[in-house]
Amino acid sequence: MANNGELEIHSGKRRRSIEKLVLIWNSLPFLLKGTVVTLELTFLLLALGLVVGILLALGQVYGGRGVGILSSTYERFFRSIPALVLLFLFFFGSSFLGLNISAFLSAVLALGFRSSAYQSKIFRGAIQSIRQGQMMAARSVGMSKFQAIRHIILPQALRLSLPPWSNEYSSVIKDTSLAYAVGVIELVREGRYIIVRTFEPMIIYVTIAFIYFILTYAGNKSLGHLEEKLKIPGFETRGGKE
Amino acid sequence: MVKRKVGLICAAVVLIALLLGGSAIAPAEEKEVYIVASELAWAPFEYKDEAGNAVGFDLDVMRAIAKLEGYEIEIVDVAFNSIIPGVVAGKYDIGASGFTIKPERAERVDFSEPYYLSDQAVLIRTDSGLNIVTALSDGRKVGAQRGTTGADWIQDNLIKKGVKVELKIYETYPLAVLDLINKNVDAILQDEPASRASAAKKEAIEIAGVIVTGEEFGFLVKEGDPYGLLPKINEGMKKLKASGEWDRLMTKYFVEYFGE
Repeated sequence: MANNGELEIHSGKRRRSIEKLVLIWNSLPFLLKGTVVTLELTFLLLALGLVVGILLALGQVYGGRGVGILSSTYERFFRSIPALVLLFLFFFGSSFLGLNISAFLSAVLALGFRSSAYQSKIFRGAIQSIRQGQMMAARSVGMSKFQAIRHIILPQALRLSLPPWSNEYSSVIKDTSLAYAVGVIELVREGRYIIVRTFEPMIIYVTIAFIYFILTYAGNKSLGHLEEKLKIPGFETRGGKE
Repeated sequence: MVKRKVGLICAAVVLIALLLGGSAIAPAEEKEVYIVASELAWAPFEYKDEAGNAVGFDLDVMRAIAKLEGYEIEIVDVAFNSIIPGVVAGKYDIGASGFTIKPERAERVDFSEPYYLSDQAVLIRTDSGLNIVTALSDGRKVGAQRGTTGADWIQDNLIKKGVKVELKIYETYPLAVLDLINKNVDAILQDEPASRASAAKKEAIEIAGVIVTGEEFGFLVKEGDPYGLLPKINEGMKKLKASGEWDRLMTKYFVEYFGE
């Protein structure tokens, strides 16, 4: 009798764990759909942040007084406001200005401009780490300031920026989950639909955590490969490695 | 020449539309598609079914009315707390998310005729041995969802009247249920249909009792009803009730849903 009872408990436990696996399996198509949205959002906001961030950094290093003040004000503004508040400002604020932009676009803009402020710090540090003598040398062989930046400074600075930039990637990919607040249906939101239906938050959140882990790991790995591929022999920036 | 100009304008319009991510550009007198905002986290009123479709009583009623009254709707999922601000800002045209008609809300938006009467249910763990009175007495931890009438009721009828309960607020209802099962709160206050939906899914919890609040749910639109939607919604509800469709939806979501 006692044995029977134990058996029943065992089979009950086993049934429940099979049910959990089935739940994860059935949830995957929806979670992957959300993952695509998360990746789109991450890619677009990083691209926007990259372009604006480089321009800001150049403005701060090479621009005149006016440009310098303007870009550092911009940077302070976007670095000092919580991402969630920025999302609301862009999404609801745009209506008051008469623009009706979609939730997705306002998330790209809000998080992208925010990221540009952080990215500009990365690029400014990298640009300033290139010795001033290189600029002088470039000018002395007849390059314009623009040509020197384009052909001498930036190629080195961007290589130097890769390690901290992969840190920015790891950070913003998780910030995208905030975009749900204005109605973007990304990974976490897709997960919540399943939780509402099944009341099984732990299983779903663990699955989501695993997906984020893979995305972050794969992204950092690829950026590491890119860094290896782009390195110029004799100008390695990483010490100690071979 | 003229053709080329038209082509250019068309191209520009398409480009702008693409840039704006397919969103509507300028509000007009009448829209082709009205945006219905709902938080799809509140079965059986609004949720996603296993196939990933947005369903529920509110949403099916919205679709049926749109069909009867001859307009198109698009349903978007929005955090509950963002729906009214979004309607005020003109981002969404209709809010359909089990909104209780309350004076504070009616100051900012316009409500339809009430479509559902709800009470608050007290949810407890089956093995807790509590009842509706002991679950809401001194020293108990009581959970509710942010921005809901359940949370307000605890504030107004317990805390402000000197009952020493601790109110814990959750962003979504399922998280409150999980915390109840994990024994971090002693009871949850939530609208009766949603409480019944969770008690039907989870053996560990049950409804200790119902507090009759007689809250009326309404659909809401921007103040002043700029597109003349409320008469259509009210008219549509009357037609649905007359045709028997209303009762069919009530049965589908408030009887059959719990029989699963």
